[in-house]
Amino acid sequence: MPSKPSPLNSCRSGGCTLTGALSVTTSVVDSATIIHGPAGCAHHNFSLLHATGLDNDRITSLNLFSSGMLEPEVIFGGEDALERAIRRAVRGDYSVVYVLSACIADTIGDDVPAVCRKDWGVPVIPVPTAGFLGGSFQDGVNNALVSIAGTLTGTAERKNGICANIIGEKNLEFEVEENFNEVSRLLSLLGITINVRFIHCAGTGELASLGGATLNVLRDEGMGSLGDLLNRKYGTRAVPAFPAGLSGTLRFLQSAGEIAGTDAVESIAGETGAQASLLEDFSDIAGSSIRFDPVFPGLTDDCSVSEVIERLGLEISLEGVRVPAPLSPPVGTAGVRRLLHRWRRALHA
Amino acid sequence: MKQIALYGKGGIGKSTTSANLSAALSLQGCDVLQIGCDPKRDSTRMLMHGSFIPTVMDLVRERGDANLRKEDIVHTGFNGIRCVEAGGPEPGVGCAGRGIIAAFQLLEKFGALKGDIIVYDVLGDVVCGGFAMPMREGYAQEIYLVTSGELMSLYAANNICKAIKRLSLRAMSTCRLGGVICNARDTPREEELVAEFAKRVNSTLVQYIPRDRIVQLAEMNKQTVMEFAPDSPQAERYRQLAACVTKNTRLSIPTPLEIDALEALALEFM
Ligand SMILES: Nc1ncnc2c1ncn2[C@@H]1O[C@H](COP(=O)(O)OP(=O)(O)O)[C@@H](O)[C@H]1O
Ligand SMILES: [Mg+2]
Repeated sequence: MPSKPSPLNSCRSGGCTLTGALSVTTSVVDSATIIHGPAGCAHHNFSLLHATGLDNDRITSLNLFSSGMLEPEVIFGGEDALERAIRRAVRGDYSVVYVLSACIADTIGDDVPAVCRKDWGVPVIPVPTAGFLGGSFQDGVNNALVSIAGTLTGTAERKNGICANIIGEKNLEFEVEENFNEVSRLLSLLGITINVRFIHCAGTGELASLGGATLNVLRDEGMGSLGDLLNRKYGTRAVPAFPAGLSGTLRFLQSAGEIAGTDAVESIAGETGAQASLLEDFSDIAGSSIRFDPVFPGLTDDCSVSEVIERLGLEISLEGVRVPAPLSPPVGTAGVRRLLHRWRRALHA
Repeated sequence: MKQIALYGKGGIGKSTTSANLSAALSLQGCDVLQIGCDPKRDSTRMLMHGSFIPTVMDLVRERGDANLRKEDIVHTGFNGIRCVEAGGPEPGVGCAGRGIIAAFQLLEKFGALKGDIIVYDVLGDVVCGGFAMPMREGYAQEIYLVTSGELMSLYAANNICKAIKRLSLRAMSTCRLGGVICNARDTPREEELVAEFAKRVNSTLVQYIPRDRIVQLAEMNKQTVMEFAPDSPQAERYRQLAACVTKNTRLSIPTPLEIDALEALALEFM
């Protein structure tokens, strides 16, 4: 963990649907992605993902193609250019090719799904995107997950033992691994193992076993429709979001236990004790006066954050010491611990 | 150099009127350039004695714009009139409006936009910014609406008034409404109705052109009326139109009608 988490290196979600969808499709390790649009749309998104990867100490190598639309494609239609790009992509050794579209391709009405439906030898899957025209970063993420889930051919045969899929991790978020580890730890308290990370660095072979899990864990509430889709397709129920804050973590154990059909009483008791000793560990800052640093905007009125403030008896005041507001609710007990470490550093600085 | 544009509903007679107007202007001694801005690409056909000249967009598609010369896109027709067809994509794909913009850029590059008068013959439903290109700065300053007394045709003309009004409010804009041309469909009290429409949109009826079989006869002989039957009464009408356009100074910012007002107007003349 770096000593100075800043919004700059954890928030890359201001882009268009392309950035969001790419953060998903490029996580399928044996896939290629085509952006049907001007070369610049592929270039900028590549740069953005690459820079984000570097900030998070990861080297991003993207199997990214562009149909390279120019003015003639805008005037006469870009479907031929898309076909050429698909032909190039399928020559590579990829198990699947995803096709995203930039604003201009949809503006002029190119029929991307129709081109993808031709027989290309490998699955060529269109993801509804349409650049900024098609919505936000998060729409791109959701549409990519829905498109990919909708085209998986694996069965819904359950695996032995209780296991969970992790759905819709925020691959560009700085603490993506820490958050995953925390959710895994909490699930393991209930005896639940991980089936598939849908989608974080997974191959198409792994994705095909998506239907084998006992339950799904969605990254956040915004993915409800994806949860519904998976429930219809595989009959797998979902925990609606990652655990947020202290009591949120206990509720998470409760609902995961319910869906998995395991008794959560013991693990909730254990985690309650762990949370008490966490707060004990931070008794040195209890009762301090703080305020949120206006330089780095984040969540200031989220109930998971207010709860931490209340439990430690912290006081928010204009004269308080500036502490960073978290960008998203702290995930699990471990997320709260990291948050408090940051605040302690600010208070002792 | 004078630049004018004829706009109107599809099939109303823009190309017929444009070609005969160009021919009449040319016979008066003007150096004329006619540019068809409609993917239908038949604007200059009668001036070219029935042949469809290659369109700018066809040539761009086949050869790429780097390999084009001015001679490839500008063709000389009846009485030395220079003819250009902008063309467009295949129906149902791409963006025809962007095609018009690209064609204009090429014409600019070749310095082809010259002469005593340029006549732009433009698709009437100004569906997007591309088809408003001929109205923009540096191009047609005078717009003529071609309409009959039919409601749908007046409706299209009224929409074009909206586009002219919008554009004329921009700084530097020189685009104005030059007048209304009635190309008759023989509806009741047609001339009166179109004249009244013109008045209500703050303009005038500049020419009434009767519906005449001579137009079809000339067409079958692959000629304009001006060439095929220069002594006919119809040819005289086109000459009158040419004279009118040449000396027209009454340019206005139109006042388009609300749809209800337009329907009420049409009803008055039923
Ligand atoms: N004044 C007229 N009298 C008789 N027929 C006409 C007249 N004007 C146009 N037409 C006919 O109407 C048809 C459509 O005209 P055209 O000029 O091609 O319309 P547009 O360019 O507006 O689509 C042509 O076939 C032409 O013969
Ligand atoms: Mg025409």
